[in-house]
Amino acid sequence: MTQLTRRGVLGTAAFLAAPALIRPAFAADTVKLGCLFSSSGTMANLEGRLNHVVRMAADEINGRGGVNGRQIEVVTSDPASDWPLYAQVGRQMLQQEKVAALFGCWTSVSRKSVLPVVEQNDGLLFYPLHFEGDENSKNVVYVNSPPASSVLPAVDYLMGPDGVGAKRFFMIGSDYVWPRTINKQLKGYWTGKGIPETAWREEYVPFGFSNFQTLVNQVRSFASQPGGQPIVVLTVVGSSIPDFLREFANQGISATDVPILGLDMVEADLEGLDTGKLVGHLNCWAYLQAAKGERNRKFLGDWASYVKAKNVPFSADTVIDPMVSAYDSVQLWALAAAKAGSFAVPEVRKAFAGLSFDDPSGYTLTMTGADNYVSRGVFIGSVNEKRGFDVLWQSPDAPKPVPFSPYG
Amino acid sequence: MSGTLRTALARQTGPATRALRDPLVAGLVGLCLAAAAALLVAPPAPYLVNALGQLAAFAILAVSLDLVWGYLGILSLGHGLFFAIGGYVCAMHLLAHGAAVTGVLPDFVQFMGWKSLPAYWAGLDHAAYAFLLALAVAGLVAFLFGLASFRSRVNGVYFSIISQALVYVAMLLMYRNDTGLGGNNGMTGFPLLFGWPMGSPGVVTGLAVATLMALAAVLAGARLLVGSAVGRRMLACRDDETRLRTLGYSTTRLKLGIWCLSAMIAALAGILYVPQVGIINPRVLAPDLSIEIAVWVAIGGLGRLGGAVIGAVLVNGLKFWLSAAMPEAWPFILSGLVLLVVLVLPNGLLDLAGLRPTWLRAAR
Amino acid sequence: MADPGRRAILALWSLALACLALPATAAPFDRAALAAALCGDGAAQVRGAEGLVQAGGALPGDDLAFAGRILGALAERRLSCTAEGAVLLDRPGAPEGRDAVTDAVRPAAEARAPVLGLRQRAAVETARGMIGLLTGPDPAARAAGLAVLERRIATVPEAVFDRARDAETDPGLKSTIAGLAQAAALSSADPARRVAAIGAVAASPSGTARARLAALKGDPAYATDPAFRAAVDAGLARVGRAVAIGDALAVVYNGLSFASILFMAAAGLAIIFGLMGVINLAQGEFIMLGAYATYGVQEALRRFAPGLLDLYLVAAIPVAFGAVALVGIVVEALILRHLYRRPLMSLLATWAVSLFLVNLIRVTVGTQNLQFAMPAYVSGGVPLYADFVVTWNRLFAIGFAVVTLALTLLILRRTPLGLDIRAVTQNRDMAACLGLPTRRVDRLAFGLGSGLAGLAGVALCPIYSVNPGMGSGFIIDSFMVVVLGGVGSLAGTLVAALGVGGANVLLEPISGAVAAKVIVLVGIILFLQRRPEGLFAFRRRR
Repeated sequence: MTQLTRRGVLGTAAFLAAPALIRPAFAADTVKLGCLFSSSGTMANLEGRLNHVVRMAADEINGRGGVNGRQIEVVTSDPASDWPLYAQVGRQMLQQEKVAALFGCWTSVSRKSVLPVVEQNDGLLFYPLHFEGDENSKNVVYVNSPPASSVLPAVDYLMGPDGVGAKRFFMIGSDYVWPRTINKQLKGYWTGKGIPETAWREEYVPFGFSNFQTLVNQVRSFASQPGGQPIVVLTVVGSSIPDFLREFANQGISATDVPILGLDMVEADLEGLDTGKLVGHLNCWAYLQAAKGERNRKFLGDWASYVKAKNVPFSADTVIDPMVSAYDSVQLWALAAAKAGSFAVPEVRKAFAGLSFDDPSGYTLTMTGADNYVSRGVFIGSVNEKRGFDVLWQSPDAPKPVPFSPYG
Repeated sequence: MSGTLRTALARQTGPATRALRDPLVAGLVGLCLAAAAALLVAPPAPYLVNALGQLAAFAILAVSLDLVWGYLGILSLGHGLFFAIGGYVCAMHLLAHGAAVTGVLPDFVQFMGWKSLPAYWAGLDHAAYAFLLALAVAGLVAFLFGLASFRSRVNGVYFSIISQALVYVAMLLMYRNDTGLGGNNGMTGFPLLFGWPMGSPGVVTGLAVATLMALAAVLAGARLLVGSAVGRRMLACRDDETRLRTLGYSTTRLKLGIWCLSAMIAALAGILYVPQVGIINPRVLAPDLSIEIAVWVAIGGLGRLGGAVIGAVLVNGLKFWLSAAMPEAWPFILSGLVLLVVLVLPNGLLDLAGLRPTWLRAAR
Repeated sequence: MADPGRRAILALWSLALACLALPATAAPFDRAALAAALCGDGAAQVRGAEGLVQAGGALPGDDLAFAGRILGALAERRLSCTAEGAVLLDRPGAPEGRDAVTDAVRPAAEARAPVLGLRQRAAVETARGMIGLLTGPDPAARAAGLAVLERRIATVPEAVFDRARDAETDPGLKSTIAGLAQAAALSSADPARRVAAIGAVAASPSGTARARLAALKGDPAYATDPAFRAAVDAGLARVGRAVAIGDALAVVYNGLSFASILFMAAAGLAIIFGLMGVINLAQGEFIMLGAYATYGVQEALRRFAPGLLDLYLVAAIPVAFGAVALVGIVVEALILRHLYRRPLMSLLATWAVSLFLVNLIRVTVGTQNLQFAMPAYVSGGVPLYADFVVTWNRLFAIGFAVVTLALTLLILRRTPLGLDIRAVTQNRDMAACLGLPTRRVDRLAFGLGSGLAGLAGVALCPIYSVNPGMGSGFIIDSFMVVVLGGVGSLAGTLVAALGVGGANVLLEPISGAVAAKVIVLVGIILFLQRRPEGLFAFRRRR
């Protein structure tokens, strides 16, 4: 009995001793990049595709001869949407695989979980999602926009004469840091413009909340009060987005009555909805698939053929902002490493100053070196009948990112 | 409660008299101490040390559940709550300690717009106080919940469902930003442990060693307990509570005592887990995780403390390994393993050991 | 009164404005100007559409039809703007189309297809609504146009309503238009018309009507004219009462609809748990399977009988029930049968089953939300009274729950199987002694309980997103409902579902959605600890 048990324990130890969690990497004259995107668990449908985008970008760079004479090798993993596991895998990537940079995380909480790891090991994490801002680690490159440089322009547009002249605001968000930060900054912004506190309402729902009947009733009664054009600023995430939109349309509210600005809304959220009644609702990102220009056309074509060639289990004709941001991340890293002539993190970091890259959105991404943020353009998209977004407005240039919001 | 359990009792009461001569537990305790010594002498890569430490923390958690489920017949599907209490208080200590040393407030406190740590954080920068507080809070919550449940004789599956609802409520509460403990993001970014920088090899090894030692101590202590007169009363209560009560024993007091002890052990596991993983968030309160604890125990073998350790280490070790090596297959393997154990090996993998003598006998 | 000179200037001004926007009042309608305006920038588009509405009362029918075509094309992104003018396409992105004015075929491959901003969209919607009201071929089309105008009544000139009323042949619609025209005169100069307008506004009460009437309190006439004041106060009181009733109705409706979802998720569990004491943690996944079966039926109909596609929700009822019942029976036969003496192990086994099912669906079908066609009977809603809107998908779920309840009761009370189930639930040993095949009853009952979960899946399709993880959200709520109601009592489950649903809906506006859920759950936990047998316990032997 004891013998067999011990064997069991030893067997378990052997599992651990195996290079757990990471598919081993081989060649010697390569430089390794690590991916921290889940391909299982709740985030799989969104994060999973970013692994492939990073590989695609690496292939493209390798096709040009690599960086500093070395080919890029991408190491992927599966943190399984389990936040502590992101830290664990990140630690292994940096200590064991000696990756030159990490590309990863979608949710704020996974970034927060990896943050101490990259700081302790002086690694470099490229984070491709728009997020709540108010953070500036020298070990993280924030490739997407903080709220002050993406959300505020969109809200400005809606408040202006080109938008709807919005005067009153109903904020509905999932209860966590990102929506709460956005709403806090918005309130600060409106207060600064002399808008009274009675002009807005703020409601939060738990994750995965789906029963929006009462909330939509409240939106309707809010909208019927006097005081000017109301809009909904929607920061719920995940499956709550389609459930909210469905209830909203069913209660007969159209975008011309009360427009929704869905800050986390992407094409995938419109799957399974009849968007005929949702036409006109808005989202806002640093990239939209409908962006004009040759670079975008090429990127869409590249992705479609990559999906086909590598048999990637994701849609060949859906490209969302975080995919492009992940692609930009790899390109920015390669540019910085080439400019530095080195893969050492301090050298690469120094090379960020003055970096620029023409990305598929049509804007030129720039970094100043003052912080690890990237200047991106702003798009406002409008839902169309075909479960996609038309470009309704885009910023004339890429505004300078504001990491720490002045509005609270 | 019925046949199988009664048989189990018959088998258990024998060894129970020979308390510390349980070869399985003794072997595991020895293994833990040996592993701890090996880590001190020749530590492998930090992330392996760290993984070993996490597994040991899970094993402590499994032992705490085995105490109430295996020996009292109370299946708690809410043990994640006590684990989380330990974890949250530990995280509060780490942040308070960090803030006291560095003077920088944790970022969620800044996010809430507070100028300083709230009043109820006072004293948490002292490790001993935080440690005692974690155990006390876990014990108190367990006491209140247990008192209400056991007094109205909430038993069996009802207790399981209600305890699951309890952990679910706690999860909803902790996800709320207004609760004030970091909401969805929880707490992370711990700078220091007893003044040493978190994540340095010495701290990593030290934590893993401490966790292994704690596991050894918990195992040995639990074995002593179940081998004692109290342990025999626990088994009696599990197998026929009404009869035990009729005989004049206060089963409520017995159950309440062990239940609180179990909760405190789970909190200890949480205390040791959080500094190793570097983050605590409401996800540890997800009902799924609490069910998984029961799965570890059932897979290893219910009602034999060693089984809980083996189950926890096996399932989590496999999870660490397979969720990357075969991410698609892992859920299927886990569900298959559970069904196999439940249907074929009613006492968990330890049944495999029990089978061997039969074959040998047949061969002879 | 304005002096004549000033009046003349005003007249000139309005004429100039009208000419600018759309030289239609005096000269014949300039189609090219409208096309150019709609191809212009946002401000020009708004001017074009609003000018059309202002002029609408006087435009000839064929001009309206022209405007309707071009506005429709614009709204559907079939309008392409080239240097030579506007081109109407057959479909968005078509390489060529017909010139809006001359009807000549012209290429439009690289041309700009304007995207409507929100303000422009509102103006275009109003203009299209007006055209629908004036030129709609049947009363339904005209009523749809009227509904659009009603929302933006302040921007519509009275002449449009007058013309529509005079031309209307349908008596019902005619009186509706008349009422609306009357209500549109809220800011008329004639005090009598204003008072009548107040009455008309109050006659169709809503939050918006209340806001419009409340705004009149600031009107100078409110202080000076007692008749006006009385009319406003009476109107406000009437509207306020109606809105309060409407809101109360909405709360009842929301509570009912949430309760019906809870009840359907819990009904199967009540039978399984009540009969066998099995905690079926896979019940949520059975619901998910029911939804996927519904999707399968939809796809089958789409392929083999597209004409019947709209009926897929009905057709899915037997399929989902049968398929999920079969899955349940297989699970019972393979796994649970061996575990009746070990309820806690059956709990773990069903957890494993749920894990297996979720991942099976995830691997075979994928993680994305399924795409359902929404037939008219489950999409949209109808305003019933004041601000109370009955949404069809929720009504569908309520009706579904009522029918499920009736059928389940029928099975339990009126069939031999029901008799057996009740006998085994109440006293398993005695039932076995009397010769009942309790094992077979168990299996059929488990099948029935699983089938009910499958039905819940059908009802949820029009309400929630359908994906592999959808079932996990139901399990704790439905267990709470079953235990609260009292194990083995379907009536108890119903009462508990109504109570929990109602409490959630009542608390939500006060405390927020998260706290509402927490309060209700804590309440249930406390209640169960005082009274573990639930609301409607009925005695049984173990």
